[in-house]
Amino acid sequence: MYLTRFMAVIFLSLLYLGLSSAGVAGAATHTRPDPMEQLRPFVNEIVGILTNKNLAGKANCRKRRQRVMVAAHERFDFNEMSKRVLGREWRKLSPKQKKHFVTLFTKLLEHAYLGKIEDYSKQTVEFKRQRIRGNRAEVQTILKEKNVVIPVSYIMILENGNQWMVYDIIVEGVSLVRNYMEQFREIVRQGGYSELIKLLENKIDTLEHDLSKTCPIDLPPKEVP
Amino acid sequence: MIKSSRFFFRSMVLFVMAVILLGSVPPVIAGQGGADFLSDEFYTDQPGSVETADPLESLNRVVFTFNDRMYTWVLEPVARGYSHVLPSDIRSCFSTFFRNLLEPVRFINTLLQGRFADSRTVLVRFLINSTCGIYGFADVAAREFNFPPVEATLGQTLATWGVGDGCYLVVPLYGSSTLRDFVGVVGDGFGMTPYYYPWTRDFGVMAGVYLGKETNRLSLHLGDYEELKKLSFDPYVALRDAYFQYRRKQRQHSTSPETLWESGRSDLSKP
Repeated sequence: MYLTRFMAVIFLSLLYLGLSSAGVAGAATHTRPDPMEQLRPFVNEIVGILTNKNLAGKANCRKRRQRVMVAAHERFDFNEMSKRVLGREWRKLSPKQKKHFVTLFTKLLEHAYLGKIEDYSKQTVEFKRQRIRGNRAEVQTILKEKNVVIPVSYIMILENGNQWMVYDIIVEGVSLVRNYMEQFREIVRQGGYSELIKLLENKIDTLEHDLSKTCPIDLPPKEVP
Repeated sequence: MIKSSRFFFRSMVLFVMAVILLGSVPPVIAGQGGADFLSDEFYTDQPGSVETADPLESLNRVVFTFNDRMYTWVLEPVARGYSHVLPSDIRSCFSTFFRNLLEPVRFINTLLQGRFADSRTVLVRFLINSTCGIYGFADVAAREFNFPPVEATLGQTLATWGVGDGCYLVVPLYGSSTLRDFVGVVGDGFGMTPYYYPWTRDFGVMAGVYLGKETNRLSLHLGDYEELKKLSFDPYVALRDAYFQYRRKQRQHSTSPETLWESGRSDLSKP
């Protein structure tokens, strides 16, 4: 008697669990967003900032870059990128070290990505196609300007079941994260993690220095009457 | 005349011998698996994997430095000057023209690789562009008839036949390659000689045409190399990795099943 009741409880709870998890899974597939549809407004926003007449010119350079980066944080998962670029090394880091690395790597990507897109002020972006596998997706776009056609793919991961976040950019078939991964691995192998941080900091300093020649920080903002 | 045809013959013999020699090298590539951006293996390839095997690294680095200096001091200034003389429209027409000349070589390679659908595309492209594209100066086939360019090299053909990469190689004045792929490049180059034969057999002239072609190509990519150098920590490693990634993508494209892709809105109810 006791045993049958016990079995019944187990059976019912299993049934309930099964039903609810099926329900959750069903709901998730139904509400799962489309990666391309989430990427499109983001890319349009970036293009909008770069072609905005009020933000054009040398004087607005910093402002423009800052706007792009604010937008980028909405769709780029810099944490995920850092994790992948460091590979095994990532797991050895303390939370504080991780945070520091993410900050540095984000800064580096800011230079890499903005440098690439800033030249193309009259660019158009065409969304080609996408593929989804599990919680990963690749969205292929084409950057066009006059005679130049550059295929750019965004590699995305589904987070919290509703946001597709970019964790790698593939420019002409070359993965940005993988390319840095190869370089970082060599550096860590030879000089350790501290050497990598040192080199990263130096590189960012150099890039900042170069940038300040064409994109001055302390330019007085132009007053619009 | 006899001298140059003997040169041609000798080069062919040399080339065939190189192929045979390479054929005896055990294939280094075991498989192209795990090369998908969507899988985690793509980011966890361990050192010592095929694509980072670089036994000639110290020699390659010397050549790399030489190429870097040559680029900075000679090639880049020449290409930059040239780019000031001719507008980019005309320069990209030249580039399309040279690309069109190579289509018969690509056609043969697609046949040798058994990519018959691509063979048809290449042939149709060559016919359309050589006529409607005015001797190949415009890529009408891609723009109007939707026949996108197909890549097929002798290096790929050799790979299809099971010839291994050998090793990574930085070639003076040419750049990143592998032993096998560079043999392919030379072989494809010989495939071009019938064009020159009707009007010249002078090696110097051929070299001149090659230099012109390369200067033109470079003039359309000014600043790319500088950008890469600026953003990388070790340009040698960065370029090596970029070479392998680019090549891998190119080969995947020609064989990847189209069914994986969806354009526009997707049907998400399917698993």
